[in-house]
Amino acid sequence: METDYDQVLRSVAQVKIAGDDGVKVSCFTEVLDDVTLHFQIIRLAKQIYVWIGYNSAKFGNLYAAASTRPSNTVSVTSVLGGTSDNTGSGIARRLVMKTGLNIILACNIPKNNPLLEAKAEKMLIRKLIDLGYTMPTPLRAT
Amino acid sequence: MESSDANFPVRHRNFSLETKGNKTEIVICSYEDHILVIATQIGAMGTILHARKEEGMSVEPTFSVSVIFGKRDEPMLIATARRLIDHISSYVPSKPLVLSLGLKDHSSETLKEIVEAVIENRLW
Repeated sequence: METDYDQVLRSVAQVKIAGDDGVKVSCFTEVLDDVTLHFQIIRLAKQIYVWIGYNSAKFGNLYAAASTRPSNTVSVTSVLGGTSDNTGSGIARRLVMKTGLNIILACNIPKNNPLLEAKAEKMLIRKLIDLGYTMPTPLRAT
Repeated sequence: MESSDANFPVRHRNFSLETKGNKTEIVICSYEDHILVIATQIGAMGTILHARKEEGMSVEPTFSVSVIFGKRDEPMLIATARRLIDHISSYVPSKPLVLSLGLKDHSSETLKEIVEAVIENRLW
């Protein structure tokens, strides 16, 4: 699976990390076939904000996800964009499972595109691991 | 500090300021159809507000400002968003604002300093 992903990938723009140890901003772009995905990761001390751009710089829908009591199950809510559209909410939820941190995700990936959603999520998780914001092994099975 | 990557479609600016002994981290991002401003003292986004200029027939502009996540009982936060969208809309009328305020201190002095710092470092 990893080699397929590597083959599909064509270019990676430079990763920029700015700011002091308080807030780190990372931006990168990945191209898959005919689709360009932009990623922006802002690491706050107790939360991570992520934006995923599909071919454009539109903000998209905003979701918030976190572990909630009593049993630490992950909850996700749509904060802006408010349709029953689930694009992005699944990514937000799985990011929380992966990192254990609160996630705020803005994403404009169109509906009915689960394959693209999964690829974007994989790239994001790989970058989060590279940046050291999360551990490589999952905390729990998804 | 601004992102110098000319190829990335979203410009951002990231800086911090000291107000009343609290260090406030501010990030401003300019998307195609939104402006995002994050001001945090608590290491998290805190309360998130949405503000936009309404299309109207009257001469005076009207704005719609609401809290979409977090504290709904702090009028000063809404006033802050209102102040910023007023400024933004005089430059880019069609871009709404998503404002995140994760603050320990909601005093008007702090909020005023944050607004001034954001306007000074604006990306619109």
